[in-house]
Amino acid sequence: MIKTYEQRRRRAGLLFVAPGLILLVAILGFPIVDSLLLSLQRVQLTGGSVSQNWVGPENFQRLFADPVFWKAAVNTAYFSVMEVILVTLASLGVALLLNHPMGRSGLFRVLLIVPWAIAPVANAVLWKWILNANYGVLNAILKSLGVIEYNQVWLGTPFSALNFLLIVDVWKSVPFVALLMLAGLQRVPQSLYRAAYMDGAGPLQNFLYVTLPNMRGILAIAIILQTIWSLRVFDLVFVLTHGGPADATVILNFLAYRVTFNFLDLGYGSAIANIIFVLTFLLATIYVWLLWPRQPGGTR
Amino acid sequence: MSYARLQHGGPLRRAFVFLGLTLFVVWSAGPILWLLLTSVLQQKALIQQPPDLSLENFTLANFTAVIASAASLGRGIVNSLVVASFSTTVALAVGAPAAYALARLPVPRANGIAFLILATQMLPGIAIAIPLFIVISKLGLIDNVFSLGVVYLSFNLPIVVWILRGFFLGIPWGIEKAAAVDGAGIFATFWHVILPISWSPLVASAVFAFVEAWNEFFFALILTRQQAQTVPLVIAQFAGQYQTVFGQMMAAAVISVAPVILLAILFRNQIIRGFADGMMKG
Amino acid sequence: MNAIELKSISKTFGDYTACRDVSLAIPVGEFVTLLGASGCGKTTTLNMIAGLEDATTGDILMNGARVNDLSPVQRDVAMVFQNYALYPHMSVARNIGFTLKMRGMGKDEIRSRVEKVAASLELSTMLDRLPAQLSGGQQQRVAIGRALVREPRTFLFDEPFSNLDASLRMKMRAEVKELHQRLGVTSIFVTHDQEEAMSISDRIAVMHQGRIEQVGTPEQIYNRPATRYVATFIGNPRIELSSAVVVSEQGKTYCTVGSTRLALPSPLESGRKIEVGLRPEHVRLTDEAGIGAVVRLVQPVGPTTHVTLEWEGGTLVSSIPGFVRLARGASTRFKIDPERLLVFDQATGKLLQ
Repeated sequence: MIKTYEQRRRRAGLLFVAPGLILLVAILGFPIVDSLLLSLQRVQLTGGSVSQNWVGPENFQRLFADPVFWKAAVNTAYFSVMEVILVTLASLGVALLLNHPMGRSGLFRVLLIVPWAIAPVANAVLWKWILNANYGVLNAILKSLGVIEYNQVWLGTPFSALNFLLIVDVWKSVPFVALLMLAGLQRVPQSLYRAAYMDGAGPLQNFLYVTLPNMRGILAIAIILQTIWSLRVFDLVFVLTHGGPADATVILNFLAYRVTFNFLDLGYGSAIANIIFVLTFLLATIYVWLLWPRQPGGTR
Repeated sequence: MSYARLQHGGPLRRAFVFLGLTLFVVWSAGPILWLLLTSVLQQKALIQQPPDLSLENFTLANFTAVIASAASLGRGIVNSLVVASFSTTVALAVGAPAAYALARLPVPRANGIAFLILATQMLPGIAIAIPLFIVISKLGLIDNVFSLGVVYLSFNLPIVVWILRGFFLGIPWGIEKAAAVDGAGIFATFWHVILPISWSPLVASAVFAFVEAWNEFFFALILTRQQAQTVPLVIAQFAGQYQTVFGQMMAAAVISVAPVILLAILFRNQIIRGFADGMMKG
Repeated sequence: MNAIELKSISKTFGDYTACRDVSLAIPVGEFVTLLGASGCGKTTTLNMIAGLEDATTGDILMNGARVNDLSPVQRDVAMVFQNYALYPHMSVARNIGFTLKMRGMGKDEIRSRVEKVAASLELSTMLDRLPAQLSGGQQQRVAIGRALVREPRTFLFDEPFSNLDASLRMKMRAEVKELHQRLGVTSIFVTHDQEEAMSISDRIAVMHQGRIEQVGTPEQIYNRPATRYVATFIGNPRIELSSAVVVSEQGKTYCTVGSTRLALPSPLESGRKIEVGLRPEHVRLTDEAGIGAVVRLVQPVGPTTHVTLEWEGGTLVSSIPGFVRLARGASTRFKIDPERLLVFDQATGKLLQ
């Protein structure tokens, strides 16, 4: 008989959690498993129906021998690492600026939430326009400042295209992460700063010995989140470059999509997707292991 | 150096901060302003180099053209509204009790479960998209707003749990004991005592989930055809169609992002607080 | 029949035992305090009585009936919490009336009951305010009102005054004691403050490491502490104990602390190892013959002065009425009253008298 308070709490705990867990298992759990299974099959859509044959590790062998895959992997690695570095540094900088008494205005919050709220697709469309070779405003500004002489086709060359993708995503990501960092900055107890002041610390020492150590957890989480988010970039590539020029902006995510839905090779696409998952998981684990603040006594 | 001086810095530091803030504002607001400007400028002003910003070129023609000609935009907005509302509502209804249980009730390995729920966000969309695509095709539910809404629960539910759990962990323990002694059952306590004091995180998670659902592109691309197209798909289409009519392209973009941006601005404090709290307690 | 009876109850969480073998009989109308340091098991015991936690073993009886499986409401108990635990989004009136609403009472009856209770606690003008708009004392009274409106058979208090400042605490203690004298409801109070326990309780149960060390009236606990722990826990300033050995000589028994010889209040077998101590008010400084000591600290508190002495047996505190002119490091002598000497067995810590 479930009657006592403790017993009822235990039962309620299970009842409250169950629907959510069931939903997540259905929508996420089953597909993950299925995705793994698919990557071990050759799946073809012929005439509207799906045919599936087991081929074991064949998809993965093909993957590791495929230069397009490796190109995409390199692009993805570059993109992800650069984005995390740029966003983390820029957000921290912006957060510090906003933490200064001059940056306390509420208007900044309004400004900062907008890039977060813009749909990535809309963002891509906007920047496609800004970066337009003939009529885009970036060319117009740079030409009138005398920085460049002719209109540049920013998305036309491989190196430039990939980096501009980076810039566009950094532009969108920094504000929100900056706000999170700001929240973290504001949680550092004022008493620590006062104690440091009494010990004779100047602004730089304050930052190194009081601010940064207390921000360790936030920084870790920001880096992990950014890594995960950077590996999920899709809309930008789809709208701005569609993988071009010459596959220069094909990142793993986009490659998996193209292989699956353009070339209809579901097995191969699943294999790529699983690689992305493993990569994300590995990176996140490494970051956690490296950066997570330790409890006193060396334990976590 | 006085403590106040340490905080504010001398004239050099203040100038530096001022410069930094100004640069940041220009950098962040610039593109958005340009988006708005373009949408109200005539085509002929835009194709000049540099663009001609004289007053007579301002117009609302872009908006009227887009609204008139694009039935798909209207349908897209309706679809997005349905999908986002449906997804958010279910996420809240299922996620709030789950977050409460994981924060306050004796669920075995609650921390582990909470972490797992968060870890699901590490999955690239493509990994689950393919199996889901197959299943939904077989069920004949492709191009259906509700199946899309259910798929969106895959990220909406964890968001709701993340934000609400962070908040619930911070409630003082006494209130639940008081409610128990006052004769309230567990659900009655949740309904009468816990939820009413959770306004801010509830709003935060609702807006967060709604915005994410509204802006989602990838699953919408894969799982819809004509009927259930959501706003992001329509925008992408316009980008292809209106390639050369820049003003209208931007006008379409403005129309589609405006509702969500307004929501975000209205509730910016709750969103930031909710996400940050979830982060701290995680 | 006792209002509440605890029969060997215990509570374990995995391998951690919060309470072991706790037994207590509380007659109707008594005010009992569970007293002890943090972690001694007093709050866990209270929670078990309330029904908020299940007892791992043992029986809890109320008016003779076993209530282990009943919920708090069914046990007819009301509780006042530390930090008041008021519902922040509800007005004072709704806070007090919430329990009646949960019982399904009608709106009008709820209102009249709430108004009656509010009047008795001088809260009538605050009924529409939110807890955040009230002072600490007012919030505490709302918490009490919430318990009162139930007209329960038992009141439980979980360290309700720990978060109040000193003067407010004294005031609230007096109010609770007056309330108890007026209503006569069986009450169980939990606190770590021994002065608080002494001043308001009919009986005190001193708890330590999950067990009850002693149950008794304030006087019994103070004058005849059953164990070394109780002796040192109760009483301010703390009693200091010194190791000693029993010596038998010419038919009389003494104890020796180093080279000093002290008379024992009652005979004991020779050679036994004991600990002895004296409450500060029973240590008198004297200019005549006595035991030598050096003054280490002088702390005036107003009505008395606490003088900390160093002597052969260690440290000792003497409480002297009024203010004293004594310098640190001065030599002095003290006398003891052998009848007041507290003697404990060194091994078991139990009182030997």
